[in-house]
Amino acid sequence: MDGIQLIDVSKEFKTADSYKVALSSINFTIHEGEYIGILGLNQSGKSTLARLLNGLLKPTRGRVLINGMDTDSPQQLKEIRQLLGIVFPNPDNQLICPIVEEEIAFGPENLGLSPSEVHKRVSWALEIVGMQEMRNHAPHLLSGGQKQKVALASVLAMEPSYLVLDEPTSMLDPLSRREVLEHLRMINQENHMTIILISHNPEDLMDAKRLIVLNEGSIYMQGTPKEVYGDMGKLGAVGLNPPGLYQLIQQLEEEGYRIDDNFETIPQLVEKICQK
Amino acid sequence: MNDIKLGQYVHGNSLIHSLDPRTKIICCTFIVIGILSSHNFWYLLAFLGLILVAIKYSGTPLSSIWRSMRGIRYLLLITFLFQAVLTQGEAVFQVGALSVTREGVVIGLINLLRLVILFLGSILLLMTTTPMKLSAGLEFLLLPLNKIKIPVQYFTTIISIAFRFIPTLVEESLSIKDAQRSRGARFDSPKILSNLKSYLAILIPLLASSMLRAEDLAEAMDSRCYGGNPNQYRMRTLKYDRVDIYLIIFMAIVLLAGLLI
Repeated sequence: MDGIQLIDVSKEFKTADSYKVALSSINFTIHEGEYIGILGLNQSGKSTLARLLNGLLKPTRGRVLINGMDTDSPQQLKEIRQLLGIVFPNPDNQLICPIVEEEIAFGPENLGLSPSEVHKRVSWALEIVGMQEMRNHAPHLLSGGQKQKVALASVLAMEPSYLVLDEPTSMLDPLSRREVLEHLRMINQENHMTIILISHNPEDLMDAKRLIVLNEGSIYMQGTPKEVYGDMGKLGAVGLNPPGLYQLIQQLEEEGYRIDDNFETIPQLVEKICQK
Repeated sequence: MNDIKLGQYVHGNSLIHSLDPRTKIICCTFIVIGILSSHNFWYLLAFLGLILVAIKYSGTPLSSIWRSMRGIRYLLLITFLFQAVLTQGEAVFQVGALSVTREGVVIGLINLLRLVILFLGSILLLMTTTPMKLSAGLEFLLLPLNKIKIPVQYFTTIISIAFRFIPTLVEESLSIKDAQRSRGARFDSPKILSNLKSYLAILIPLLASSMLRAEDLAEAMDSRCYGGNPNQYRMRTLKYDRVDIYLIIFMAIVLLAGLLI
């Protein structure tokens, strides 16, 4: 069965004298080709969730299934990690090799691909993130945004079906942040890769088609961006603010303007407002 | 931290630069064997000349090599003095109870030459080869050791991670130093002990953050299916030319000559 399934997943960490519950009874299914946003403040269990998905952590209770494979079985871990790539928050700590090109070749090489195939994938991944001219640079000479793009490319080069991004923009300046998000949208639409974007910033998740809001280790809200961001009261109760776009819609509606639901991007909304 | 430049790669387009790293490593091995097995002063002197020609040819600035030589001047001096004084033989002159012998001076000079040649040879290797080419060459040459269960590729991965993180750690140590300084720490105190304490205050946060980095890095490597395979992609850049073969043959002859003399 294709897709990601979490069945009643809980994760507890042992601390000095007690157990700390990071996630409790999480259930959800993600289908191939979706663009999912996972929203939550710090300590809501977001990063634990990411690490559960590719078997870096094992659930205390419940099962995590990737295309039907359980992350609990060590034999299938390599296959699972090939299917599901993760980009981590800190670009500096996930680049392994001293040259950009080698960094991107690292994953495909571990999959045992032939050098010519590796070479092809390196060029392809560099092209997607627009970093061809940095091919022979050393990672420490790149800016934060460029480093994160290299990290993204290095996961892309493994051609995963699912791409999980754990706070990929938290250490980036606004411009690089927009660029990375734009790349993700393209990868989802043109390469049909499933994107699971984890963030504490609702603005980051504007492109997601479905949102899962985590709070204190359990699912707090779920639905389309319109449904989730429309409920400002419920979001506000856990300290999250909807993106400016949705606040604008809310205010317009309070003033008596009706906005149709089916817009997906800011330009579409602008178009709609201007027509009125 | 500024001394890290010793033996650092200097970009260039000379013949020495374009040699295959494997050739350079093999030649360096020949040099080591040659000079350690020969006791002939003139042979060693000829060897020194050969290396100086190679340095001149590589376009490496002689001034920077001279500067790095100064780093080992005490080692050279002590080696020479001890050999000169402690070797039994015909005394040349006497300083108090110590006598400098003729044999001692000769052996001292030979060992001095050996050290200088070793030093210059390795400096030349490091200054004309990028770290990555060097590690690709090493990995290729040592890979047969895999057969006797020595995991060569692990060592080269360690080396390559070190190369990746040296600049990052240097940067971090500078920012920790700035942070400490902005809170009044002194790094130029005339008292050695308080200076030492200040540097300890850099070392401990640096160590702590390295641990965190290591954990993150391990997760990233794990996520990308790292299983300790040889780095074929890097070794793909290795290419033997005719010059490489000529050079290896030449060095082998030089080595053989040394063994026969």
